[in-house]
Amino acid sequence: MSTQERLYKVLLGPHISEKATIVADGNGQYVFKVATDATKPEIKQAVESLFDVKVLSVRTLNHKGKVKRTVRGFGKRSDTKKAYVRLAEGQEIDFLNV
Amino acid sequence: MQVTVETTSGLERRMTINVPADKVNAEVDKRVKDTARRVRLDGFRPGKVPASVVKQRFGPSIRAEVLQDVVRESYVEALDQESITPAGYPRFEDVKDEGEAVQFAAVFEVFPEIRLGDFSKVEVERSTVEVTDENVEQMIESLRQQRAEYNDVDRAAANDDKVVADFVGKIDGEAFDGGSAEDQELILGSGRMIPGFEEGIVGIKPGAEKTIEVTFPEEYQNKDLAGKKATFDITLKKVQAPSLPELNEDFIKELGARETDVEAFRQEVRENMTREARQAVQSKVKNDVINQLIEASEFDAPTALVDQEIQRLRQEAVQQFGGGQQMDPNQLPRELFVEQAERRVRTGLIFSEVAKKHELEADDESVRARVEELASVYQEPESVVNYYMNNQEQLAQVQSLVLEDKVIERILQDAKVTEVQADYYEAVKRDN
Repeated sequence: MSTQERLYKVLLGPHISEKATIVADGNGQYVFKVATDATKPEIKQAVESLFDVKVLSVRTLNHKGKVKRTVRGFGKRSDTKKAYVRLAEGQEIDFLNV
Repeated sequence: MQVTVETTSGLERRMTINVPADKVNAEVDKRVKDTARRVRLDGFRPGKVPASVVKQRFGPSIRAEVLQDVVRESYVEALDQESITPAGYPRFEDVKDEGEAVQFAAVFEVFPEIRLGDFSKVEVERSTVEVTDENVEQMIESLRQQRAEYNDVDRAAANDDKVVADFVGKIDGEAFDGGSAEDQELILGSGRMIPGFEEGIVGIKPGAEKTIEVTFPEEYQNKDLAGKKATFDITLKKVQAPSLPELNEDFIKELGARETDVEAFRQEVRENMTREARQAVQSKVKNDVINQLIEASEFDAPTALVDQEIQRLRQEAVQQFGGGQQMDPNQLPRELFVEQAERRVRTGLIFSEVAKKHELEADDESVRARVEELASVYQEPESVVNYYMNNQEQLAQVQSLVLEDKVIERILQDAKVTEVQADYYEAVKRDN
């Protein structure tokens, strides 16, 4: 897989929540849902190329899927990964107009 | 707010209105905050959605909504400012929202300047109707005839008898559709059948058979039969002679009259007839006056009002013969109502102009009197009066009636009124 193709698979979508709004307003950080196997450099590259911005830093976290019990035994929801991406001063991403 | 008015044609005005952006923006912000309090979004606790997110999500639709309201409000305000009274609803055009200021145009019609015709040129005939004893007797007689009872007799059928008959109609020896019936009831001399048919039955005895020849009239509605000769084989089953009910208390009771005394009943019939005649004369006078006024005064009827009236007429028409089925009033052709609608609009405009000019209004006293008059027809006038007085809608109707009468009265003061004597039947019939 070429690098370019890989970049399109890294970002899964914006993560919109109260916290995401607060960090966007206060710290210039944008929160994405990303592929569980994505690395920080990959995320940085993907955001820079897709939104045409300068990324200062990327912080990631893994979110383990909940274990759910049903009649047929145990089931597990998929794990997810989130990335907090800090942009250079003065830059922003408008999720509606992309 | 800047307003410019231009006359586009006749009664049409085009008003261009400029609303400063501040006003719109302030309203948008207010709505955004309001929405933030109510809206539920994933990822946010209810009521904790930041205004910025709401604006991003719902901004455009909120703005469009606000714009609509602003347009409507500023239209009303602009009318006030320019002191224009529009006829009917406006049409909004060219709504421009450029961030700086909102601009739009409202196109509407104004009321025409009404030049009333000269009242003194109006000529009407007002008939004075005397209800004679003869009239009353005639009326009672026809009431008796309506209630006539028919009893079997064994004699040849005569006029005014009711007969029960089977008949088979044939043209050139062949039975035709709709020409045959069994046990048909028929009152001889009522003229409900084709000419010659009822006359043919006269003289037949019950149980007897007879074949008569009849020719369908040329203008008969069934084209296949019109002008054709036909024979009817008639079997008469029964002959029933009418017997008119006696004018007595039982008969009066059956009619549902208030008084059971014969003399009082006569009096009541007379009263009813007098009232009917008076109403007939009044509505005729009114019609004459309106017709002449419409002819005498010249002005354009605003299209918007005419359209509204057409819509109303359509609905009335649907209610009248639509009955149960759902029918779309808009299906009815416009042309059907244009004339009537225009006439109504003109009448309304003339009336309100006359009322305004002569400062006429429906005062409580005359409204009350009118209601009491309306109520006097009913069994319990008191409760009817109360019903009217407590029902805004009904009361408003009575008020407009009273005002109408006053307007007519005022016009009649100046008009040439010729008093004529008229017979009761003439007076009542002419109006129908």
